[in-house]
Amino acid sequence: MSEILLKITDLHASVGDKEILKGVNLEIGRGEIHAVMGPNGAGKSTLSAVLTGKPDYNVTSGTIEFMGRDLLAMKPEERAWAGIFLSFQYPVEIPGVTITNFMKTAVNSSRKARGLEPLKAPQFMKLLKEKMELVRMRPEFAKREVNVGFSGGEKKRNEIFQMAMLDPVLAILDETDSGLDVDALKIVADGVNALHTPEKSAIVITHYQKLLDYVRPDVVHVLKAGRIVAVGGAELITKIENDGFEQF
Amino acid sequence: MASNSSEKDHGNYVPTPVGAGVGVRDGESLKEVFVVGEDHIPECFVAGKDSSLDITVIVLPGCKAGIPLKFELTGEGASVRLSGIFLCKDDDGVSFDITMHHRAPRCKSNQVFNGIAAGRSQCSFSGRIIVAPGASLTEAYQENHNILLGDLARVGTKPRLEIYNDDVKCSHGATVGKLSEEEQFYMRSRGIPEEETKVLQMISFVAPVLSGCDDPVLAGRVEAAIREMA
Repeated sequence: MSEILLKITDLHASVGDKEILKGVNLEIGRGEIHAVMGPNGAGKSTLSAVLTGKPDYNVTSGTIEFMGRDLLAMKPEERAWAGIFLSFQYPVEIPGVTITNFMKTAVNSSRKARGLEPLKAPQFMKLLKEKMELVRMRPEFAKREVNVGFSGGEKKRNEIFQMAMLDPVLAILDETDSGLDVDALKIVADGVNALHTPEKSAIVITHYQKLLDYVRPDVVHVLKAGRIVAVGGAELITKIENDGFEQF
Repeated sequence: MASNSSEKDHGNYVPTPVGAGVGVRDGESLKEVFVVGEDHIPECFVAGKDSSLDITVIVLPGCKAGIPLKFELTGEGASVRLSGIFLCKDDDGVSFDITMHHRAPRCKSNQVFNGIAAGRSQCSFSGRIIVAPGASLTEAYQENHNILLGDLARVGTKPRLEIYNDDVKCSHGATVGKLSEEEQFYMRSRGIPEEETKVLQMISFVAPVLSGCDDPVLAGRVEAAIREMA
């Protein structure tokens, strides 16, 4: 088996008094794409929140190792520096902060954490332009405030654009297909596939097969009531599509 | 009793003499930026016919001050843009007492004050707009938005509209809130350190006022002050 990138062991997590994840085990090897599928309320978004260190989500027991490091001991920004990226189900609007300024600060913060010099303005602008083209964002978006007044599809494309800019080792796509029409879905999927290399892994969290028609997973996990109840290959997707989540 | 509807009811309007102050003559314009504690700030401005005033008041940390400001719009068609930023921390205390008195027809005033209070600082904003009888077709707007950075900081905001005229457009808005943690988490998940996310939020919060100043040196000072507060 390939090198283990992410190892989740017996993970329990709650929000407030409510336990949502009740003993999740998951291993992701380098270069693999995993899908986590499950009905509403299964804990899919909690899993992505815990992986990225969102405040108010409490891990009550269990461990997460990312490239041999204790992920749970790291701040959200440190996880980003280590190479984790979350494409948000509901991207957040940041009034007054332009995409250019946002990305410049993000890219250079990560570079600083890795002991690299900040990118010079022309280098940065070249990178920005190249990655915007990848998800077919019009150049004028660079000057717009982050997600403010964006349509659902534009917000999701902006997520994949940011992913391209930050070049993560592990990308987590949380319901990236929700609210997308077929054309936007295709653009997003093409972006994800273009960024995928044998060095990189991804977790695609979804309750439909939509995105999985374009981004083919190596492993499919079914998450239900806070536990992984089935693991298989791509054939599981068809099984879910035909008979739903009730069978598990 | 409104038994005689043809007689204009001026309510409780109490005529007051026009205050003495910096006069901006008919058709002239004045643009000034004042830093509280460094610049002398006139307490009263008198705006003549078709004159235009653009006044910005900046409060940087380390300030204890009461700031009375009065604008007398005496000439028809005068316009006033009044903006302010206040950054308070530790035991700072700042209190704005603003009166925008529309005395003539077709005048416009637009006020925007954005404040950030940290530490145990105490800030208050009292903004009064008076539209005198006869000052028809007045447009008067006022916004005061505030961010509290700590549990011990205090901001009081009190807009007051006194309108003795039917034919006017007036509005005011006031908010007191905290920096959004949801925005912070989104930015942190992209690798921006927590402190820097706060700086970005605060700079964007004061940007609408600061961009109107066209003063890069002052903008740099405001940014430096914000970095110290984050």
